[in-house]
Amino acid sequence: MKRNIHIILVLLLLMAGCREPYDPEIEPTDIKVLVVEGYLDTEGLPSLLKLSYTRNIHSDEDSNQISFPSGEVFLESEEGEQFPLGSLGEGTFEFAYDIPEEGNYRLKIFTTDGNSYSSEWIKPILTPEIIDVGFEKYEEGVEVYLTTKGDENADNFLWTFEETYAFRSKIPTAYRYDPDLKTVVLATNDLRTDLCYRELSNADLILEISSRFEDQFVFRQTINKIPTGDERLTVRYSILISQKALDKGASDFWEIMRKNTDDLGSIFSPLPSNIGGNIKNDQNPNAPVVGYLSLGTVKQRRLFIGFQEILPWPRIDVPEYFGCIAEQDTILVEEYESAFMSGGYTPAIPIFCENCYDPIGFRKAERRCTDCTLRGTNVKPDFWDE
Amino acid sequence: MKKIYFTLLILFISWNVQSQTNQTVRLTGMYLGMSFDAFVEKVQAETPYTFYYKKVDVADIQINLQVSDTEVRLVLDEVFLNTGLTYSIDRSNRIWVTKGSRLLIDFPSEYFNIQARQDLLANAGDSLGEFDKNKLFVIGKATDNPESSTATLSGVVTSIESGNPMNGAIVLEKIDFTQVATDRNGKYRLTLPKGRHTIWVQNIGGFQEQRQIDLKGDGVLNMSIEETILSLDEVIVSSGALSNINKLDMGVQSISIADVKRLPAVMGEVDVLRGVLTLPGVNTVGEATTGFNVRGGAADQNLILYGNSTIFNPTHAFGFFSAFNADVVSGVELYKGSIPVNYGGRLSSVLQVDPKYGRKDKIGGSGGIGIMTSRLSLEGPIDEKTTFILGGRTTYSDWALKFLEDEADFNDSKISFYDINANIQHEINDKNFIEFTGYISKDDFRFDPDTTYFYQNLNLSLGWRHFFNDHLEGRFTIGTDQYNFGIIGQDNPLNSFDYSFDINQLYMRADFESRRNESHILKYGIHAIQYSINPGINQPYGEESIVLLDELEEENAREISVYFGDEFTVNEKLSVSYGGRYMFYQLLGPLSINEYVEDAPITESNVIGEKTYERGKSVKTYHGPEFRISARYILDNRSSIKLGFNTMRQNIHLLSNSSAISPTDSWKLSDPYIKPQTGGQASVGYYRNLLNNKLEFSTEVYYRYMNNLLDYRSGAKIVLNHSVEQDVLNSKGKAYGVEFLLKKNTGVLKGTLAYTYARSLLKTSDEPNVEKINNGEFYSSNFDQPHHLVLVANYELSKRINTSLNLNYSTGRPITLPISKFDYAGSERVYFSERNAYRIPDYFRMDFSVNLEGNHKVKKLAHASWSFGVYNLLGRSNPYSVYYVPEGGKLRGYQLSIFAKPIPFITYNFRF
Repeated sequence: MKRNIHIILVLLLLMAGCREPYDPEIEPTDIKVLVVEGYLDTEGLPSLLKLSYTRNIHSDEDSNQISFPSGEVFLESEEGEQFPLGSLGEGTFEFAYDIPEEGNYRLKIFTTDGNSYSSEWIKPILTPEIIDVGFEKYEEGVEVYLTTKGDENADNFLWTFEETYAFRSKIPTAYRYDPDLKTVVLATNDLRTDLCYRELSNADLILEISSRFEDQFVFRQTINKIPTGDERLTVRYSILISQKALDKGASDFWEIMRKNTDDLGSIFSPLPSNIGGNIKNDQNPNAPVVGYLSLGTVKQRRLFIGFQEILPWPRIDVPEYFGCIAEQDTILVEEYESAFMSGGYTPAIPIFCENCYDPIGFRKAERRCTDCTLRGTNVKPDFWDE
Repeated sequence: MKKIYFTLLILFISWNVQSQTNQTVRLTGMYLGMSFDAFVEKVQAETPYTFYYKKVDVADIQINLQVSDTEVRLVLDEVFLNTGLTYSIDRSNRIWVTKGSRLLIDFPSEYFNIQARQDLLANAGDSLGEFDKNKLFVIGKATDNPESSTATLSGVVTSIESGNPMNGAIVLEKIDFTQVATDRNGKYRLTLPKGRHTIWVQNIGGFQEQRQIDLKGDGVLNMSIEETILSLDEVIVSSGALSNINKLDMGVQSISIADVKRLPAVMGEVDVLRGVLTLPGVNTVGEATTGFNVRGGAADQNLILYGNSTIFNPTHAFGFFSAFNADVVSGVELYKGSIPVNYGGRLSSVLQVDPKYGRKDKIGGSGGIGIMTSRLSLEGPIDEKTTFILGGRTTYSDWALKFLEDEADFNDSKISFYDINANIQHEINDKNFIEFTGYISKDDFRFDPDTTYFYQNLNLSLGWRHFFNDHLEGRFTIGTDQYNFGIIGQDNPLNSFDYSFDINQLYMRADFESRRNESHILKYGIHAIQYSINPGINQPYGEESIVLLDELEEENAREISVYFGDEFTVNEKLSVSYGGRYMFYQLLGPLSINEYVEDAPITESNVIGEKTYERGKSVKTYHGPEFRISARYILDNRSSIKLGFNTMRQNIHLLSNSSAISPTDSWKLSDPYIKPQTGGQASVGYYRNLLNNKLEFSTEVYYRYMNNLLDYRSGAKIVLNHSVEQDVLNSKGKAYGVEFLLKKNTGVLKGTLAYTYARSLLKTSDEPNVEKINNGEFYSSNFDQPHHLVLVANYELSKRINTSLNLNYSTGRPITLPISKFDYAGSERVYFSERNAYRIPDYFRMDFSVNLEGNHKVKKLAHASWSFGVYNLLGRSNPYSVYYVPEGGKLRGYQLSIFAKPIPFITYNFRF
């Protein structure tokens, strides 16, 4: 339903409308609101709590200038038992305690600027297992889905995911120009540029209430859709899906965040909502604090999709590879230095003579077309399965 | 250009001549490229004259003339200019055309007066149609009541074209400016000093007629006047000009369909609601919505009536077109200040769209063919006593989508709508009339094969009008109004759903109007509504679907109002209208209602139980009075002041979390926690006519307060919420403003200039609310647009070519902007400012249109016209909204405009 409203928007735009970049003049408000993010594991697995401040919407992306709150953080049970969180720097704290799920807990934060914050009392929720993850290919692309089942404690669910995929450069090559040797050599594994891995960040928050379905059985909930031809499925694709059970308040919080992220600006879009959470400033309870802390367990499943499983998969060029060709002229050995020294071009296709062991020259191509490390890393992630 | 100049000249001449004598036969029409023979044939057909001439004398004459109510002699002078021909007219209306010298005939100087005297004895009831204006009617008998110096003139004003009574025509005597408007049966009653008078009669925005009378005693004068939309310019004291000053109601705006038709249209569709938006004090939050806001009120606070039927969704295609077919509408009135006592149930305004009934003379029709839509209507008599009108519209905008499919990713997209109106009027006898109006509309749209939206209006109403006697009229109406919408989602067979909402109201009303006494018009009546709402049901769709049935309990209520009002003419200068309504509202079982901790915020955690009510049991009762008071004091012939104070109550609320009316907004009845909205408005106005009534000026100042408005807490859920009371915030509102309107109704250049300064503010009330928006301070409502300027100018290049320009400026609407950002769940997220703390850029739009009329031959198959123009001539991209989206983890701001390009349109209209 939401998606269709977006399509209405797109339709209206195509009819006559338009979407233009917008830069309103906003008073440079020095708003500095504490942001608390965390889903602390109650079974002892190390989990992170992140503290940060909101930044001006136009502030530059220089991460060195971002200031993080520092101070002391601990979880407190109703009986008064305290579980301090260890600081990892840059506002990040680690929590690693196995605590009883029956109790109620609250988080206390004492920042070095003299403020203190308390969360509401939170009851941990154990997240049910993910029953199944899978994918299905349709005409429009591939849909990744998940199946799970709620229970009497876990009714509201939040799913988030992280994507990683392997890809090849537009013109893969096993060679590289070695500036020290001033010649072209076969690339060793750690310097190869033809196959890389890329992580994608996304803002997607998928929320569902299991009691909407019979027996709280959430069957084939769509998690992600990859349109036909997308680069992500050209070699091998991996998605790590996290499932979190939430209480009602957390579900409301994430729903507001999702709405504030996804649903704004279309014709029938709801009004933006001010986001709050379950944490208050002790000194000034009206002061805004963003964040909803939850306690419980996170269930994760990883799914791999290889290109063999979804063939045929027409490959649609990514914009970075626009106009990529290997030039016709052969660069001979004596021309290597002048051709490849600057780094703008790399050897692409080797030219062999009959019975030669080494190539006699190369056809060259722009680096952006041959070097996948410009867009990813050539280091295979630890979890990669092949 | 020369022709235009000539036309103007003729107009000017006829104007002057007219003021000297009104008793000559006049000509109106276009004579383009005609031979003299053809001209003669036409003139002979339209006038009592007969021509005598030699064919050889006139062989070379070609006539290119356009005249408007011009004396025949002036026309002939022009025709024979430089031809060497001359003419003379004898007393038998024979015109002798001769070469060189004039044929000598005896031509008495008082010829026209004699003719008038000959007519003196004509029966006043005879209708000579257009020639009535030159006749002297003797009204009444001098012996009836000799001691009284005044007498009462009454009668019925009907349309020449259809024979139907004309509602709201102004009957006027110009010396003392005694005037009255006809009621909806075309009746008028005027008390005048005995003696000779010229009586003027004019319908709104239409043609003006005059009658010479000699009033000797009480009597009847029935008049037929033209209601043609083609207004041929004369020296006009328009009805509006008079009502501007004299009308008792304030804050009432009438628009004729002719006015609306002259406005530049979007996609060529004549749109009644767009006409309403040119009025001061009326604005809209965006272009893709015809939901409108009146004097700082929300869109659901407007009572939109077609006849007696309430239209719950007045738009098609999510707001691009209004639900009203202009061919079956006779007029539109918007009450925004003093709301007449016979209306109630909404807080802000009443938009009364008057249905049209069929003509009585013959079967006729009209229609239009545009780029996206077309319409057709048929009307006429069924038998002598019964008339009908049937109108329909449909769209074929699918082709536009098909065209887009190649470009974009729309498979199987579809937009379609239609509406049908059927109105029947039956005259049982001259004391009893039956009227039926029926309206049905349906919208269907989808943008991919997965999800289909639809909504539907159905309104039926049957009325009986009875005249108990000369002074008491009663109207009894029964009807039903229905509205429903639905969404069918088939994205995945397992999750396929069918969601629907519907509202039904059954109503009965009895309205009485009594004019027993000259200085009092009494109105009283009773109005009962039975509401029944299905607030939402979500069902599995298809056999595989595992979606669970989710249904909100049906809501039932009844609302009964009684009212009484009196329009009291204290003296010539002062009139007062006062009255009141008493509204009784009862929410009925079966219903289960949550119970909450008393004096605590209504939240899930404060639920202490649930109470179930059986069928027919009263769940909650609200009742209270509404007051309506207004007064007018005439300062002099040209100016008056008016005061008014109203209070209103509203038991039905639109739940909407978006700023525009969206197709999925549902209605909710007042319950123990969502209380009836109440409010009041006080206003003062000053009205003045300038430059011999050619310009009307008015200004009104108002202040409104509103209680129990609904705003929503952050993240409120509206669809299928079993405890919606937990997500709404009880709010107070206030609105104030000043409106200026300058209007020119006459001349080649017509138009209005309206400027409004207005504010509309909300505040979370002091009741225990779960959240206080902006810390409980007043904040701008979604439609708080302080400055609003509308200019509508109409220039008549000739009788056939009419151009219109429309300028629209308003302050950008308030918006909640992201002011800072933070990282959360792997992406950059936005943190929003206080509610409505910023504004989108100002809105400015210019539209232009040309209406091209066909020729004015009386006898031809169909009268056709073209209208074409450009909407948003400057192509300005007025932002509808601004928003931020994270793209690849970075935040980017965008502004969205709906009509960012000039949109040309063309429509062919016909009438037969």
